[in-house]
Amino acid sequence: MNYSFKWSVLWTGQSGYWLLQGLLTTLELSALAWILAVALGILSGALRTVNFLPLRWVATFYVEFFRNVPLLVWMFFWYFGVPPLLPRGIQDWLFNHGAEFWAGMLALGVYHGARISEVIRSGIQSIPRTQFEASVAIGLTTFQAYRLIILPVALRLIVPPATNESLNLLKNSSVALTISVAELTFQTRQIETYTAKAIEALTAGTLIYLVLCLSIATVMAKVERRYAIPGLIARVGPAA
Amino acid sequence: MKATLALFLALALALSSGAPALAQPDTLEKIKSSGVLTIGTRTGSPPFAYINKNNEWVGFSIDLVDVLIKPEIEKAVGKSIKVEKKESTPPTRIPLLTNGSVDLIAETMTDTPQRRESVDFSLTFFYTGAQFLVKKGSPIKGINDVAGKRVAAQQGSTNAKILREKYPQVQLREFPDQPAAFQALAQGQVDAYTNDGIQLAGLKAKAPNPADWEIVGDFYSEEPYGMAMRKGDAKFKAAVDAGLKKGFESGKYFELYDKWFGPKGDVPYPMTSQVKAYLLKQIGK
Repeated sequence: MNYSFKWSVLWTGQSGYWLLQGLLTTLELSALAWILAVALGILSGALRTVNFLPLRWVATFYVEFFRNVPLLVWMFFWYFGVPPLLPRGIQDWLFNHGAEFWAGMLALGVYHGARISEVIRSGIQSIPRTQFEASVAIGLTTFQAYRLIILPVALRLIVPPATNESLNLLKNSSVALTISVAELTFQTRQIETYTAKAIEALTAGTLIYLVLCLSIATVMAKVERRYAIPGLIARVGPAA
Repeated sequence: MKATLALFLALALALSSGAPALAQPDTLEKIKSSGVLTIGTRTGSPPFAYINKNNEWVGFSIDLVDVLIKPEIEKAVGKSIKVEKKESTPPTRIPLLTNGSVDLIAETMTDTPQRRESVDFSLTFFYTGAQFLVKKGSPIKGINDVAGKRVAAQQGSTNAKILREKYPQVQLREFPDQPAAFQALAQGQVDAYTNDGIQLAGLKAKAPNPADWEIVGDFYSEEPYGMAMRKGDAKFKAAVDAGLKKGFESGKYFELYDKWFGPKGDVPYPMTSQVKAYLLKQIGK
């Protein structure tokens, strides 16, 4: 292939600064969206298992509506669809104060919340029903039973799929570039525009995502080992 | 997408440079023996060159060749000739020219110093530059009014680059494509959308209510379109330039401009005095 590599484009000029800016934006966006997604996921995941039909129905609607529409559409929805519903003054204020970022954060958080909800629900439903009954029998309310018994156990069971979902969220944050959020992928494209060195820029982006995801996976693997419940997560093979 | 394009371009250049180096290209001699002038042009760039509803390959750039340049070449070779059209696109046009498949690129090619290293350009036949599309009545009238304002641009465009470097007070919002940027403008996410003036004119012409939009400001970047030829063919270039020059002098050029860009044209894009002066300056007026 007749392509002359010029890796120096990655550290000359503003490239390094842009990559750093992009990385920070990606981390900020993903972290806030993750917090939102986990909160929504736990809430709706728990609601889907309660013994009250209307609440189950609301939670099911949320999950099925938000996880079955492409993320790109949600980005456009929160950025183009929602602001016109607000008064003009608030719209202007938002557009001057990073509406793109917040729309991207909501799109990412609400979408992944619906997916995490299913992970949480499967964790809750893997706990024998008798545990819940025993909790109520000793005098706990439903809310207390969930808060003190069911959820703590469920959360310790679902670390592997939750890690998976978190990594997906981080990588999906790149979709926000379609609504003008200058995250990591946006910045690698910017470097390409300025230097016409596409392969170098893409490689830099790829490596950064890879390192980020591997770090998260490593930390979560530690968390998983530390909080595994003996007898509930059986290690069949050699311990990792 | 752009990466693929760049790779393709690199490949095309590599292949074309493998072709035997032509000594002194003599396009006029070639046209004389074949009786044909082959131009490379576009099929989907209205109104410069495109296939219209009646399946005819037409446009402003093609008219310039047919009406202004063809007679000049006929005079130079001493016989009547035919114009044949082949499709050329940004990644293929320079290779098509250098390998002799076409003799002249007549489409929407910007004359840049980088390109001048591989081809020669005719006189500039169309001149556009970055401007702003705004809602009618907007306080933005040009580059001097955009400080602190939210301005949309296309990701990776030269316009975005210029704004970022020279006008850092602008709140730049970069969208991957034209429809998203226009949507943001229509809804008020941004106060203006910047791109090459002619692109904005095309966008405005296609908008549901063209009268709601205004293209404002002097060009803050330069995009002169020229016709490209093989490098170092002075006689052919002289004939092409003579055709354009006579068009400017006789006013024929301006008639053709009006046909495509006038109030009744496909994409109304009135010629500013700035542009007219630029074009006429080329022929010493």
